[in-house]
Amino acid sequence: MTDSKYFTTNKKAEIFELKAELNNEKKEKRKEAVKKVIAVITVGKDVSSVFPDIVNCMQTDNLKLKKLVYLYLMNYAKSQPDMAIIAVNSFVKDCEDPNLLIQALAVRTMGCIWVDKITEYLSEPLLKCLEDEHPYVRKTAAVCVAKLHDINAQMVEDQGFLDYLWGLIADSNPMVVANAVAALSEISESHPNSNLLNLNTQNINKLRTALNKGQIFMLDCLSNYNPKNDRKAQSICERVTPQLSHANSAVVLSVVKVLMKFLELLPKDSDYYNMLLKKLAPPLVTLMSGESEVQYASLRNINLIVQKRPEILKQEIKVFFVKYNDPIYVKLEKLDIRIHLASQANIAQVLAELKEYATEVNVDFVRKAVWATGRCAIKVEQSAEHCVSTLLDLIKTKVNYVVQEVIAVIRDIFRKYSNKYESIIATLCENLDSLDEPDARSAMIWILLESFLEGFHDENTQEQLTLLTLVQQMLTLATQDSDNPDLRERGYTYWALLSADPVTAKEVVLSEKPLISQETELIEPTALEELICHIGSLASVYHKPSNAFVEGSHGIHRKHLPIHHGSTDAGDSPVGTTTATNLEQPQVIPSQGDLLGSLLNLDLSLPINVPQVSSMQMGAVDLLGGGLDSLVGQSFIPSSVPATFAPSPTPAVVRSGLNDLFELSTGIGMAPGGYVAPKAVWLPAVKAKGLEISGTFTHRQGVGWILESSLTGVIPSTPLAIHTPLMPNQSIDVSLSLNTLGGCEKQYRCLLLQLPQPTQCAFVEGGKMEHQVFLATWKNIPNENELQFQIKECHLNADTVSSELQNNNVYTIAKRNVEGRDILYQSLKLTNGIWILAELRVQPGNPNYTLSRKCRAPEVSQYIYQVHNSILKN
Amino acid sequence: MISQFFILSSKGDPLIYKDFRGDSGGRDVAELFYRKLTGLPGDESPVVMVTSGGKRHHDGRHFIHIRHSSLYLVVTTSENVSPFSLLELLSRLATLLGDYCGSLGEGTISRNVALVYELLDEVLDYGYVQTTSTEMLRNFIQTEAVVSKPFSLFDLSSVGLFGAETQQSKVAPSSAASRPVLSSRSDQSQKNEVFLDVVERLSVLIASNGSLLKVDVQGEIRLKSFLPSGSEMRIGLTEEFCVGKSELRGYGPGIRVDEVSFHSSVNLDEFESHRILRLQPPQGELTVMRYQLSDDLPSPLPFRLFPSVQWDRGSGRLQVYLKLRCDLPSKSQALNVRLHLPLPRGVVSLSQELSSPEQKAELADGALRWDLPQVQGGSQLSGLFQMDVPGPPGPPSHGLSTSASPLGLGPASLSFELPRHTCSGLQVRFLRLAFRPCGNANPHKWVRHLSHSDAYVIRI
Repeated sequence: MTDSKYFTTNKKAEIFELKAELNNEKKEKRKEAVKKVIAVITVGKDVSSVFPDIVNCMQTDNLKLKKLVYLYLMNYAKSQPDMAIIAVNSFVKDCEDPNLLIQALAVRTMGCIWVDKITEYLSEPLLKCLEDEHPYVRKTAAVCVAKLHDINAQMVEDQGFLDYLWGLIADSNPMVVANAVAALSEISESHPNSNLLNLNTQNINKLRTALNKGQIFMLDCLSNYNPKNDRKAQSICERVTPQLSHANSAVVLSVVKVLMKFLELLPKDSDYYNMLLKKLAPPLVTLMSGESEVQYASLRNINLIVQKRPEILKQEIKVFFVKYNDPIYVKLEKLDIRIHLASQANIAQVLAELKEYATEVNVDFVRKAVWATGRCAIKVEQSAEHCVSTLLDLIKTKVNYVVQEVIAVIRDIFRKYSNKYESIIATLCENLDSLDEPDARSAMIWILLESFLEGFHDENTQEQLTLLTLVQQMLTLATQDSDNPDLRERGYTYWALLSADPVTAKEVVLSEKPLISQETELIEPTALEELICHIGSLASVYHKPSNAFVEGSHGIHRKHLPIHHGSTDAGDSPVGTTTATNLEQPQVIPSQGDLLGSLLNLDLSLPINVPQVSSMQMGAVDLLGGGLDSLVGQSFIPSSVPATFAPSPTPAVVRSGLNDLFELSTGIGMAPGGYVAPKAVWLPAVKAKGLEISGTFTHRQGVGWILESSLTGVIPSTPLAIHTPLMPNQSIDVSLSLNTLGGCEKQYRCLLLQLPQPTQCAFVEGGKMEHQVFLATWKNIPNENELQFQIKECHLNADTVSSELQNNNVYTIAKRNVEGRDILYQSLKLTNGIWILAELRVQPGNPNYTLSRKCRAPEVSQYIYQVHNSILKN
Repeated sequence: MISQFFILSSKGDPLIYKDFRGDSGGRDVAELFYRKLTGLPGDESPVVMVTSGGKRHHDGRHFIHIRHSSLYLVVTTSENVSPFSLLELLSRLATLLGDYCGSLGEGTISRNVALVYELLDEVLDYGYVQTTSTEMLRNFIQTEAVVSKPFSLFDLSSVGLFGAETQQSKVAPSSAASRPVLSSRSDQSQKNEVFLDVVERLSVLIASNGSLLKVDVQGEIRLKSFLPSGSEMRIGLTEEFCVGKSELRGYGPGIRVDEVSFHSSVNLDEFESHRILRLQPPQGELTVMRYQLSDDLPSPLPFRLFPSVQWDRGSGRLQVYLKLRCDLPSKSQALNVRLHLPLPRGVVSLSQELSSPEQKAELADGALRWDLPQVQGGSQLSGLFQMDVPGPPGPPSHGLSTSASPLGLGPASLSFELPRHTCSGLQVRFLRLAFRPCGNANPHKWVRHLSHSDAYVIRI
């Protein structure tokens, strides 16, 4: 008698037959019938019509039969609450059954069928069960409270179930405690404001004694705890380190997370710090011997760790040898990590491996191996020569996808080492015909044109003219015939730039090509820090912050690595510190080449003279209709044409086999709450004579991706509401939707226009610092960063000064009167997130004020002084 | 917490489906997952997010799965939980189902649907893990496993390993070891058995010039006990067993491993002094100890391969001569040796000359498969294979006979089993049971050693 035959019952008479069997007199028969029903459920057929018959079977003292009946009820109770009411009497009865199995079964199932009408019947037995003498019943009841809360939150709170749960936290049985904690935390998550699980040092101690099994939960709590100084951090590290050899990978990862976090707090030169780094390697290596599923998840985490602290695993590159029979997802991850660990010392070995991999069967893997070879060239300069020759060898294989991938990566190598490997262009050209992928084609065009342009001056006139004609033709094609708004727009921009003011155009389009660097493959540092705080969680596997894929209040809190303050530090870190580190990030550039940009990349470097304008008119200008003359003739002011030469957001080239993962992430960067890197200035105001362009982009696995589009008044039919006229130095963030070829709606935003005269608009709202923070920050900033200025001829008293400044987002934190002089303490925040603290001394009767400023970035102080000055003067 | 759990057969049919929280899209998600799984040419990564609508990212559902005995065990969740604990849970569930149903497989699962649901019900409540201990669960489980065929202890010919996943057969269970722990409530005579296996997986990578690029050994001591729970046993390991690079024991070079981890129930009081593990295992399967060793293998590698390739580009004639030397001690032997050599695309015919009659070679899935059922230590075997490779389209390159190998050839990978052999040299000295059965016979103890290949790759 086996269950498997139930899968093959004839459908037509099935229900009828089942009903008959369920009402059979013999217990055994009925039991078999229920089994059959359950098997049918699994196949996905609807057997809710036998509900009444099943309930009839419930009245039995046969435990086996009863369990089966409950299995059925669990499945259908939620979808058929009305039918479940028929069973309510049996529930109540079973809740008091002497057999604890039945008791627990009833409680467990009950949680699924809460219908208002029967609430009162069921809440009483549940309360009783919460106090049952047997832990098995209590732990089931504890979970049931969470289920009940999901259905009727009000009742749970009214009937005092929560108090019972708190009581269970002190239970003697760990399972009961665990379930009570789980239930409480689930309930507290649905009430973001309640303070059910407020973790302070005291509560952590309480939970530590309560839970001796929930190690992961404990460790997670620990990692959220911010120790006051490094000694405390060290003592916690010492406590958790033994757990690194735990057999459960989840525990190991949680410990790693705690250690990675607290490493930040330890002084870098201490012995303990270095010892800890050494201790981290073996457990990570051990994870690699697990099942391939665990290996995959571990590799994703190791990827993060390696980016943050490559020193931990730099000796262990052998562990990440790709095994022949690894599943593809493990292979790709290992490859990624090998690239991160590649250095001058091991590059030869890495390259030899990559070359082997490039001959394997799996296309994704081969492509990634080729791509990785290119990365090595960019990462380890000494190896570039070797890499290029390896790539050339690969071209000789004539395998289509290998060749295409090689050409795409050679483009990147050219960008890094211009004028070095031009000799290989001939080899590349031999394969021109086989290129059919957009990425490879665009790379080839880039390489070819770039090589032409390099020698532009040396060519004869005829060639030069041909090239110019091509430019003209291309612009016409792009603006007139293209259906792609993105392309058209860029065409317009360049055209307008060229026609209106070639000088600016030069500056904008021909500025130094940003050097490609290895950084493009890395996760942006602040994002990395956040992900490090999520080691061991789904976020660390997806390499996406949790709020990008889970709902709920707990996802919103963004975690940061703690900042080392030396041995005695109190309170929060001043915000200034964080922003300062942000500014120091290496400027990351996209790996996507820009065809048009480079096309116009003529070697011109004339001095620039742009008329300064105080206000600008942003209107839709019909560029095409007017032609050159009318363009200039219109009230179109040259310097108001800001343009970025950022590559247009081309669909990211997916280089991994995880296409689908990737697909899912498309657009996430712009999803509310999604991580967007802080804006970096692309074209500083000084260089472009007052035209400042800043941008930001997100990273998706090795592909820099710009979320910025050029946006100017020259966009025809702009869908944007731009304030006209745009105030000087006003910055606006504009979002606009563009239809890309794929038809999917994407959003590009972040435009920042800054005109020369610095004014108040550079300050952002919310620049008000907490009193305490202000004090601490003021003390923290070294005195040499303090600058003093005199504001002359100002005839306002302290209060009006303060309110005037307040209107311009300069906030007065405190006011003090010393010896007849008013001292105002003020804080403000710049659009780029820099905090500035100021002390303003105002003496009644004296029109000259003294302004002292402190800021972590002293270079901006001067500029702020001017702003201050102008605010007060107007 | 977990929203759903399901088991899919290798063909994607749901065998088990359980929704714990009712907050997810119902059973369509199983369908969704399977579509995703089959949509990719390779394997799906074990942690994926699937969005149903594609509009909002928040309705994404996370699928965490493992593959076990060609079944997919999948859980879904919608929270940012630790994928590691879910993966651990899944592999624990796989063991648990194996313990209760005898072995894990499509057949056993569909024969025991009710039992599996009953187990799941106790293991997870509302998506929270309650207990995964075989012992605890025994108190709650009422349904008995349905087994396909009666067991016979006398069927010793097939006593294999219970969990060792070798290359040839993902699971090679012996019928004796693959019976459910619980099925024999009435049958006391079969109870007193304990299996102890030392299983080592060897992965090796040899470069085309013959130099050893990487070698590592991953070992496990696994125990499957049918003794009553709590009966104490002592496992004595080789006394010269050293952990780490620096430890020194005995007079010889010692048996050295890099890393060891133990199951949490193992008592290590006597480990330092006598290398004895003491434990009171519950019924069912348990991994007592895991260890790894890399780079320094105490014994020579079991196999060396000496390939030579002749390729005539013009005629497309490819000739591969393989010489395989087995460097095991002459008393040992390797079983089920199979050499797998991927060949260039489009290879058509194969002619072969093999050194002994029991070998077999054939073309399968664009690769050469050379089977050697048994290779004695110290012996050397060879095979000469000739194939026709259609030339690449275009003008026939004026190639002469070269030794450069064509694209798509290699690397060769070997799979094999080495019974009664551990690459690390680790042996179980003794297995002593403190348990004295009241009445009938002494418990049967089976101690076995085995090494098998994990990835034994030789580049050509």
